[in-house]
Amino acid sequence: MSESFVDNEQPPGDPAEALRMIEEQRAAAVRQIYVDDRWWFWPWGFAWSVGFGLIFLRFGPGGQVFVDLPDWLPTAVLVALILAAGVISGLTGARAYGHIAGESAKRGAYYGWAWMITFTAMTVILVRISDRLPADLQIVVWSATMVGLTGALHLAGGAIWLNRQLFLLGAWISVVNVAGVLAGPGWQALIMCVAGGGGMLVFGLVASRWHRRGRRHD
Amino acid sequence: MTDTPLDPVIHAQARLRVVAALSTLGSGDQIAFPRLQEILGMTAGNLSVHLRKLEDAGYVEITKTHRGRTPVTLVALTHRGRAAFEQYTASVRALLQPPDIKEKT
Repeated sequence: MSESFVDNEQPPGDPAEALRMIEEQRAAAVRQIYVDDRWWFWPWGFAWSVGFGLIFLRFGPGGQVFVDLPDWLPTAVLVALILAAGVISGLTGARAYGHIAGESAKRGAYYGWAWMITFTAMTVILVRISDRLPADLQIVVWSATMVGLTGALHLAGGAIWLNRQLFLLGAWISVVNVAGVLAGPGWQALIMCVAGGGGMLVFGLVASRWHRRGRRHD
Repeated sequence: MTDTPLDPVIHAQARLRVVAALSTLGSGDQIAFPRLQEILGMTAGNLSVHLRKLEDAGYVEITKTHRGRTPVTLVALTHRGRAAFEQYTASVRALLQPPDIKEKT
């Protein structure tokens, strides 16, 4: 890095060069400051697709068993993948906001806490009532509550960052969630696997492409 | 179109790059000095010199604070700095426009 102070005082050669410098520098900054959106959405999309996929295979519609997995395995995998996704989101947040202070960092931190607090609260409530539910409804209620909360938080995220895509994702998750509950045990898992997890994977890809073209959320 | 000369504070390669990089932050956001240095690929001394000039012009705000026990220097573009950058970009675009329009028509 041998830069001379004199060179730095040089104005850009011509307007075209000045504009090119502005665009290049902004693009470089965006690349380095903002983390790829796939880091936010793919771990969750993967967790839902695989986890709910396994639930569907083991606890299919009408009590059908497509693949004879141990009872505990599908939910254990789903919970483990969701916890892993939570950790990845935490690390991504630290990377995104670690060197930034001010409003964005505060928004990010509050939003992160909102997820932690509401999910912990819901888990406590569901653990308390889950045993009184008939077996086939347990998965339905657990899934619907957690997915519903995820949808609501995405909607809120869209409002916080005035991000239409994020808001639409929240709306999509909410609709898919209700569709899953109406479809009933078994089908719910399939719908969450394909439309919920799949939707999240597709959204991550679209958001990331959109972002890398150098446009901000708003 | 105005014939106002380009803002001399920004019309220098290094400071133009500093301001362009800072303009990607949301308003109300600050970035840590070392991170900014990394993004720009400038030496700490060089960046300090240019930041001081931008600060003197009221374009940049530098906050020295602590995170735990570590001192942290945070840099942000002021409203005035953002406006100056936008004005500069608009002027440069305007300078480029006439031949462009001729080409199209």
